[in-house]
Amino acid sequence: MRSFGHVRARSVAEACALLAEHAARGRVNGGGTDLLGALKDGIYPEPPDLVVDLKSIPGLDAIEEVDAGLRIGALTRLADIARSGPIRSKWSILAQAAHAVGSPQIRNMATLGGNLCQEVRCWYYRYPAGLGGSIDCLRKGGPRCPAVKGDTRYHAIFEGRGCFAVCPSDAAVALAALDASAVLGGPGGSCREIAVQDLYTPLGTVLEPGEVLTAVSVPRTAGGSRSTFLKFTVREPIDFAVVSVAVSITFEEDLCTDARVVLGAVGPRPYRAVEAEACLRGRPIDETAAAVAAEAAVAGAKPLRGNAHKVPLARTLVRRALLEATET
Amino acid sequence: MASEYRHIGKATERADARDVVTGNVLYLSDLEVPRMLHGRVLRSPHAHARIVSIDVSRAQALPGVEAVLTHADVPDWRVGTPRVVRVLDSTVRFAGDSVALVAAVSEETAARALELIEVEYQLLPAVLTMDEALAPGAPELFPEAPGNVVSPGTPWFGPECLTGVRMGDVAQGFAEADAVAEGVCGYESIPNPLPPESPGVIASWEEPNRVTFWVSSQAPYQDKVVLYYAFGREVDVRTIGGPCGGSYGSKLMSVQLALQAAALSRASGRPVRLVMSKEEHMAAFVLRIGSRVKGKVGMRRDGTVTAVSGEWLIDTGYYSMTTQAQVAVGCGEAQLVVRCPNWDLGSTIVCTNRTASGIVRGFGGQELKCAILPVLSRAMAELDVDPLDFFKKNYVKPGDGYFWRDGHWYTYRGIDYTAAMDAGARAFGWKEHWRGWLQPTSVDGAVRTGVGVGVHGNVDIGESVSEAWVRLDPDGRAVIYSAATEHGTGQPSNIIKMVAEVLQVPLAMVSMTAADSTVTPFEFGPVGSRGTWAMGGAAIAAAEDARRKLLERSARTLDRDPSELDTRDGLVFAVDSPDSTVRWNRILGREGSLVGTGRFDPDFTLANCMMTFVEVAVDTETGKVELLRVVNATDAGTIIDPPGLENQLNGSLGSAGIDSALFEETVLDHASGRVLNANMIDYKWRTFAELPEMTNVVLETPVDSHRFGAIGVGEVATAPGPSAVLMAASNALGAWMDEYPLTPERVLRSLGNVPQRGRRGGVQEGAAGGAGAPGATSRAVDTDAEAHSGPTADAEAHSGLADRAGREGEGDL
Repeated sequence: MRSFGHVRARSVAEACALLAEHAARGRVNGGGTDLLGALKDGIYPEPPDLVVDLKSIPGLDAIEEVDAGLRIGALTRLADIARSGPIRSKWSILAQAAHAVGSPQIRNMATLGGNLCQEVRCWYYRYPAGLGGSIDCLRKGGPRCPAVKGDTRYHAIFEGRGCFAVCPSDAAVALAALDASAVLGGPGGSCREIAVQDLYTPLGTVLEPGEVLTAVSVPRTAGGSRSTFLKFTVREPIDFAVVSVAVSITFEEDLCTDARVVLGAVGPRPYRAVEAEACLRGRPIDETAAAVAAEAAVAGAKPLRGNAHKVPLARTLVRRALLEATET
Repeated sequence: MASEYRHIGKATERADARDVVTGNVLYLSDLEVPRMLHGRVLRSPHAHARIVSIDVSRAQALPGVEAVLTHADVPDWRVGTPRVVRVLDSTVRFAGDSVALVAAVSEETAARALELIEVEYQLLPAVLTMDEALAPGAPELFPEAPGNVVSPGTPWFGPECLTGVRMGDVAQGFAEADAVAEGVCGYESIPNPLPPESPGVIASWEEPNRVTFWVSSQAPYQDKVVLYYAFGREVDVRTIGGPCGGSYGSKLMSVQLALQAAALSRASGRPVRLVMSKEEHMAAFVLRIGSRVKGKVGMRRDGTVTAVSGEWLIDTGYYSMTTQAQVAVGCGEAQLVVRCPNWDLGSTIVCTNRTASGIVRGFGGQELKCAILPVLSRAMAELDVDPLDFFKKNYVKPGDGYFWRDGHWYTYRGIDYTAAMDAGARAFGWKEHWRGWLQPTSVDGAVRTGVGVGVHGNVDIGESVSEAWVRLDPDGRAVIYSAATEHGTGQPSNIIKMVAEVLQVPLAMVSMTAADSTVTPFEFGPVGSRGTWAMGGAAIAAAEDARRKLLERSARTLDRDPSELDTRDGLVFAVDSPDSTVRWNRILGREGSLVGTGRFDPDFTLANCMMTFVEVAVDTETGKVELLRVVNATDAGTIIDPPGLENQLNGSLGSAGIDSALFEETVLDHASGRVLNANMIDYKWRTFAELPEMTNVVLETPVDSHRFGAIGVGEVATAPGPSAVLMAASNALGAWMDEYPLTPERVLRSLGNVPQRGRRGGVQEGAAGGAGAPGATSRAVDTDAEAHSGPTADAEAHSGLADRAGREGEGDL
């Protein structure tokens, strides 16, 4: 691993100022579970010369219930989210998604902000420098994507544009289904909020140089809402989703009045299946309705040559999640 | 039987157990040799290229760099069969191949120096698959391998080294068959056994021609021998083995790494440590061989095999060290499972532009079984032969014969394993769960279960030479001079147990020397399950020799004939008056010791046997295959160490074993040849959180091996499982699964749920198989996968299942 400067930031403002100054050569460190691996593998064409540690900023790791709902500091560890009483009872899919990440050791280190902003897992993007040099690609500013004609079993079936890496965050999928927003702090004390699914672009995130994710705010869930998070992995622990899904459905009597259906690991951001949501509104969710909505959820899929199997997989997960949410 | 023994068969503490769990074992990367430098290797980005120029001047100028070597600077030391692989070469032959070597005062400096080396390559066309390598006019890796076919046979196994199985008259055999099945099946997932400790070595060169290696190997003395030849028989090689953090066969031959470290040490004049990073271990060390069989099998209704013919294609990657040996052993082992008078099975070893295949537990036999048993399954299915009955009938029986690896015919004198197979079947509930070929055991909504069985055995339990000496000290202690090193199996502790049993002393009174080749005699090492019989046999013989000498020397003191004497707990006594004893120091004196010597010579007339039953659950809507339970059944003759044996059998899952049918695979990018999953996230391996229900059934029928009647079964534990999983999944799905591993993609494709794409391998229906034969399931035909890229209706998937259910209803497969 190349050596780099390391600053333990004392405030968001200090962190933002340092990052603005170093632009592309600066990196933010939360729990370090993703960053250190990426640095050790030497995946960056321009290795960072400064790592800004956010853990030293006080007050960024709180889980607070507020009038509007829930506010979670970006430095909150996934383990704390997974075991939080209020989150487990009122925003349970977020607790499930946090628990679905990695292993106990990783969840004890990894933070919510880090999970949302982690690097993609595309195995071309992450190819280690020690095996003949890292691989240049669109995401690194290169001219082309080596993955698109390669082994794409884990790549996008929705919304890929140039880069087909998928957003690897489990938390993002649950948060998108919960209509959550990311709070971004910037240089000079600026602050903006953006919907979690809009945090991502096909080649990265919307964070400007000098911006850091400081918190996530989650609105209160409506009475009568039920939700489910399902994650399909090749092996159970310590694995990233091949496809995941989070659904949040509001019922009045047995009728679905509102639904959010979000697929994970299928595109550069959590993919909100609005067609599926539309199918569900105003009707009870039974086997047929779930199957129809699941079909609608994948109707727009454009798989690559090597990942067409993700389409039936996504369809199955949506159907199962809807039925599971309805039955609970 | 075991109950008569003082130590044998008892669950005793492994000699190194406390040190392992408290972190006190010193592995290779913990060793510090004075003045030691750290080596690193610059690796190729290209699968095949000629190095036009290398500029190392900036690397050499970096403070702390003590040596930089390129192909132009290295000695002409060579490894491989044939000897074509140099320390560094002007041509690189896989993405990750060695380009330049650096030794520096720290790993960081060495790594930094690598970044300063500038290389200009001329790209050459690469061959990444056997089909590409064998195509007419294909680019060649080595002039010594025309057409990319590596010369067959290894001199280690003699001039008649087995390269296939040929006997009888196959034409006549097929004519006598009730069914003939034909097909192609590949076991080409090239998994990595992934020992926790990555390969590494420390080399210390002394001019003019002496080198000491600290190795992390399961067989350090064998390293000395192999390296002696690699150095052109002109270097005095000393190897020092230590605790090895797992090997599964693979680290037996870290020879190229050793030569590179030696070259750096010679160039720098200082000891050099060269340890692979995890990603180098996964992408630039050794994988399992790739294996594909195009075979034809004739069978009678009663499960008698009348003929086997075909060609075994072996992908060895960019070079072969032991692949010819694996072919020889694999061909020998096939005859243990398939008793047949008529064979015409040939082999072709192919080199391709990927990292090399090396030794992995299963050593040729697992690879051949995984590819050929699915072809045999087709014939069994056609004749409705239960695979358990088939294996019981066909597994080698006393009096049967086989050609072993040296091409010689041997007659088997071991036990009949039918009882072990029956005991395993009872423990598994085979009768209750087997529903017939392509029949699921249960169907519950989208989840279907199925069962499968496989079998494997090895004659190499008695291969090669082991030597050991046992020294008796006056204080009642014994020291075993042996190059056995701990590599996770507990073998040194087991050898200590055997010696303590012969000498009738407490385990704590017996120790073993370091595996230093200037201290110990020759030891081929624990491979092919030979540790128990061959290595144990040498140590037992040495202990018996020491005991005999001790009693002879006691005769005068005790005024008795040696035959009337015995020893226990460091005392010698007459058998008829055990209360009158003398200590060993009275016999040996204060000054002096006594040494017994022992040797094991090869014996190819016994075989072990491992049968594995599996049950899997397949989710037909996600394609997930879950291993529910495993029953391993064997007969170990006599169990030396119950917990050690259980661990060996539980190890059947990982290390490129059963899980190589489920998710373990090395993924190559087919454009660049780079390994895409050279990390512990993307290379899927089983964690302890996902263990299936494991049952190990071990019978103890004493074998005519050594005085304890034991044979080894550890190495074979991985081999029968993968094909059993394929069988179980095929039965669950009602369709032949014929590729490893069973990824969700392959399962969903088999259900017609996903458009097909070009496939390698895969059993196709044989010409003589008949139209009604299983496997003739309708599949979506691959056209242009992109054109099929739209979603497939759920209804289609369901109709696929309905189709299968309908066929099951017909019953007569």
